[in-house]
Amino acid sequence: MASRRVEERREGFQRYKRDVKERGKPFFPYAMFHDTVMSLVVVAVIIALTCIWKYTAGGDGTEPGWLGPLYAEKADPATTNFVPRPDWYFYFLFYLLRIFKWPESVILGTVGIPTIALMLLLALPFIDLRRERRLLRRPVAIVASILVVLSMGVLTYKGATARESLGSAVLAAVPSWAKKQGFEGNRQAVAGAEIFAQVGCISCHSYINTGGGFAGAPDLTDIGSKQGKTAKYFADYVKNPSAFGNNQMPRYDRLGDENLRRLGLFLAASKGLK
Amino acid sequence: MARARSARREQIEKLALYPIDWLEERSGLVGGLKYFLLRKVPRDTNWFHTLGSATLTAFLVQAVTGVFLAMFYKPDPDKAYESIQHITNDVTLGWLVRGMHRWGASVFIILMFFHMARVFLFGAYKYPRELNWIIGVLLLALGMFEGFTGYLLPWDNTAYWATVVGININGTAPFLGPFIAQILTGGAEIGSETISRFYALHMLALPGAMFALIGLHLYLVIRLGVSSPPWSAEAAGAERAEPEPTGRAGLVSPGPRGAVGRPDA
Repeated sequence: MASRRVEERREGFQRYKRDVKERGKPFFPYAMFHDTVMSLVVVAVIIALTCIWKYTAGGDGTEPGWLGPLYAEKADPATTNFVPRPDWYFYFLFYLLRIFKWPESVILGTVGIPTIALMLLLALPFIDLRRERRLLRRPVAIVASILVVLSMGVLTYKGATARESLGSAVLAAVPSWAKKQGFEGNRQAVAGAEIFAQVGCISCHSYINTGGGFAGAPDLTDIGSKQGKTAKYFADYVKNPSAFGNNQMPRYDRLGDENLRRLGLFLAASKGLK
Repeated sequence: MARARSARREQIEKLALYPIDWLEERSGLVGGLKYFLLRKVPRDTNWFHTLGSATLTAFLVQAVTGVFLAMFYKPDPDKAYESIQHITNDVTLGWLVRGMHRWGASVFIILMFFHMARVFLFGAYKYPRELNWIIGVLLLALGMFEGFTGYLLPWDNTAYWATVVGININGTAPFLGPFIAQILTGGAEIGSETISRFYALHMLALPGAMFALIGLHLYLVIRLGVSSPPWSAEAAGAERAEPEPTGRAGLVSPGPRGAVGRPDA
């Protein structure tokens, strides 16, 4: 015994099929004409974008034109002055991560919200069981779509305009770090802080409100306050994180032992803000 | 004389149609194509209904340009960047093919979202088209994943660092996260293992799955038909009756009176 709603919608679909059969138009040529025109427009837009991209880019292709460079410099795992950035349609996700802070809530940004959004999308036809299709009589749908468009738009815009700190900008903050952390007198630690600022640590980690704090990398402001973590421990860790069971952070043995030693002293001196 | 000519004409026509008849007799494909082309659609379909086929077109552009790129691209950290330069600067029209693939990806993603928005605003995901909505959401997810895996392949700094971040984000997910990140990277660092994995996913696994799902998607579109615009006065499936009395306040009224004039199929 089907419920009344089930019967009603079955009737509705039978009525739809009858209406289409009796009063519909054949797909060819009517609908197909529209489809063909639209498809040609799509291909034309793609070709136009390509031509603008190609002919406005300067130099050997690495100078950006209106639509960016043909390619950036070849991938260099050792570069320190490169700001990681995904393609534009991931900006919303990219920015979502920066809203949440490691480590307490970042999981909401990385998996929580995207997973919930995907689940809601998949479940939509089973959440909204009403037969009503006219938008003005679907207030929840109106509000939901406005909220989704707004939040995606704002997140994409924020992601597009977010300025990451480049090494040079971070370097200027080193004296204030030394003051706040109280290692001004320790010249080796200050030198370590300058290395820290310049070699790209801040692309993933954060330190006293500077830096990305995304990609799952922890804040390092009070990393030196942990028991039994010496400067040597930090130097060894940074040199080869995978030896400590960390397979996400790249190894930094290329910095050289002397720089690593200073970096270790800096991290050990980072006891957190008073 | 006239009779003779028409007899000859008949013979020629028969000869010309022979291959078609041959194919039809053995496969039924001609009848299928006829059914596809001549099937009725609601008389009030409009430009909004072209977003689906536009998305398909963008996907096909990706497929075709991707095949040509694969002929010249080398999935190896030492050669990938140079092969992209070669495609862009040396190969005849290589810049066009690569550019179309690159920008086609953005257009494809945008069109997927537009198409989805159209279906949502038209309420076209409702009975009996729930399954097709779900397939569409899966296609969206696979399409985004195509974008992610394809982004690494040029092996420039943009590509490399975006992928580092992407994989690290993956690694922060609970339970499966580190495992997935490990599978994607294929080693301690992003390198030759990573690039071949991304390449295999990008040009075999994901597009294969997408082709299959798109086939299913289209099958369901043809089987179930497209829904009329909900505002249409002549929407297919609407209950036709006298114009509604004005001043009906209820937004949700499941009773038969509420159903009057509702385009609900």
